[in-house]
Amino acid sequence: MIKLLLRKWLQGLMMILCVSVVTFALLGFAGGDALTRLRDNPQISEETIERLRRVYGLDQPLVIRYFRWLSGAVTGDLGESTYFRVPVSGLVWARSVSTFLLGTAAFAIALTLAVPLSLIGVRYKSKTIAAFIDLLILVTASTPRIVLALVALAISVRLASFTVDTSSLVLFWLAALALSAPLISAFLAQFHGELQRIMREDFIKLARAKGLNESAVILRHAVRPALNPVLTIAGLSLGGVLGGSVIVESVLGRQGLGTLMVSAVRARDLPLVMGIVLFTSTAIWLGNALGELLQVVNDKRLRDLGF
Amino acid sequence: MFAGFLAPYDYSAQSRSEPSAPATTIHFNSLTPIIHPRRVEDQLQRTYTEDTSVAFPVGFFVRGYSYKLLGIAETDVHLFGVRTTSGIAPKINLLGTDQLGRDRFSRLLYALRFSLVVTLIGVLFASLVGILIGGLSGYAGRFVDTFLMGATDAMLALPTLILILGVRAAFPLELPITRAALLLLLIFALTGWAEMARLTRGLVLSFRKREFVIAAVALGVSQTRVLFRHILPNILPSLRTRALLLLPTFLLAEVALSYLGVGLQEPEPSLGNMLTAASDLDQLRSQPFSVLSPALAVLFFTLGVRLIGRGERL
Repeated sequence: MIKLLLRKWLQGLMMILCVSVVTFALLGFAGGDALTRLRDNPQISEETIERLRRVYGLDQPLVIRYFRWLSGAVTGDLGESTYFRVPVSGLVWARSVSTFLLGTAAFAIALTLAVPLSLIGVRYKSKTIAAFIDLLILVTASTPRIVLALVALAISVRLASFTVDTSSLVLFWLAALALSAPLISAFLAQFHGELQRIMREDFIKLARAKGLNESAVILRHAVRPALNPVLTIAGLSLGGVLGGSVIVESVLGRQGLGTLMVSAVRARDLPLVMGIVLFTSTAIWLGNALGELLQVVNDKRLRDLGF
Repeated sequence: MFAGFLAPYDYSAQSRSEPSAPATTIHFNSLTPIIHPRRVEDQLQRTYTEDTSVAFPVGFFVRGYSYKLLGIAETDVHLFGVRTTSGIAPKINLLGTDQLGRDRFSRLLYALRFSLVVTLIGVLFASLVGILIGGLSGYAGRFVDTFLMGATDAMLALPTLILILGVRAAFPLELPITRAALLLLLIFALTGWAEMARLTRGLVLSFRKREFVIAAVALGVSQTRVLFRHILPNILPSLRTRALLLLPTFLLAEVALSYLGVGLQEPEPSLGNMLTAASDLDQLRSQPFSVLSPALAVLFFTLGVRLIGRGERL
């Protein structure tokens, strides 16, 4: 158990390091920074720009800049955003709250839809329910988040008379719904498929032979083993949710991590871009680790395998 | 490919007198389709009325602005348009016009052309890289395998869109169309190979132990030849299905980038930057269908690809 945690921890650390190196190198090699724009301004002299470059440490070679950034990042200091003029870490923390809420709501919607529906589908083996689940999987899997977000915007514009109140609860849930569509299809496909497979296993036959009624067979014996793949998928889809939040947030005008990333890219605010990339990759690694941990808790056999 | 032929107007041609016009209604006068010219009723409210006293017939194969068919033959024949003798004709805007008075239908066609070409080539690139890495990983030794698959896992775990935006931040904001297309291709190849690599590796590993491969190795066939002549043809169908499912992913990435203003830029039309019109809430309220027509096109594309993918798997 501890060995597993330690290995996961090291793996995650390596991944985050790799990502930061690659992003930093790309940003560095492409050249151009927040000061490039100042250069076009005739009122600012060459000397001022040189001085600014020294202040921000931009005259140092790439490797030194990277290690300087890294040593700051370890202590939680991600530098100062060149566009917003505030420390990156504070900015990222503040904005991530709203994205976190949105993502949680999206996961909640997907789970409350997928789990009962799969259970009903397995309990009452009717063709209509199976066809409905199939259709729902197809539709939610192939409706892009951007389309859903735009439709949500159109609906809210129709409902409200003049302006769209971005803080309204209706809009929040619409945004969460748009974000959750691919999750619904992933959870539904995985959980329903797994349940169907498990219902044909021998231990289910045994449970039935004991005289348990069908609902008890499903709830007590089939759900638990079927839950593990869902946990894997949930952990893996975290990246998709964070990526999708960029679109959903900017379409619906929410202030979150996604919109922060967009403004950082547009302003070529390198410290901020680096900070967000670091933050999101850490969050994703944490999510994956959590998903795996829950799996081990759920399935004791994994512990014996030394996983 | 045939956008020039299908589109009645040039995608960048503006008619400033008719911004945000609604879609032209086509009337039928004893089987001949006709349209009426429209007048601006109110400049600020952007309302239009039809002038029913004059009528212009709509016809097929009408002459309009000139373009190059398939990039070679220069012609000015379009699939449909308004027939006129005097040279001045009202415009037929099937989906209305945008804020600058450009024909939305024509722009949509050109945008589709750009998006589809970039996505297709992007998928080809990414698949090639993915198959190479996956094949190598599945066939070469343990050390290479561990390293490559570690990289693949890291790649898969990352939020693709944020990664794409990160790569995008490294390049100047405003780019001409060809450079933007090249950049998109580069981004797709950089971020899209991981899934392909994972699948290829799994398939190669399973095929390595099959009798005919072992037979080939026993006959002294070289490693590269085994990989490319014996294994690759067998796993190609599965890879093709997977590549097909990559299409919507890339199309959506293009749409997202352009929507956020960091992909293809005005005046070139793309599905994404056409959708930014939705931020004009007044227009979104009055003509939701026209404004969201690019979104509808995207939806049809993703749904279609998924249905084809389903059919292939069966």
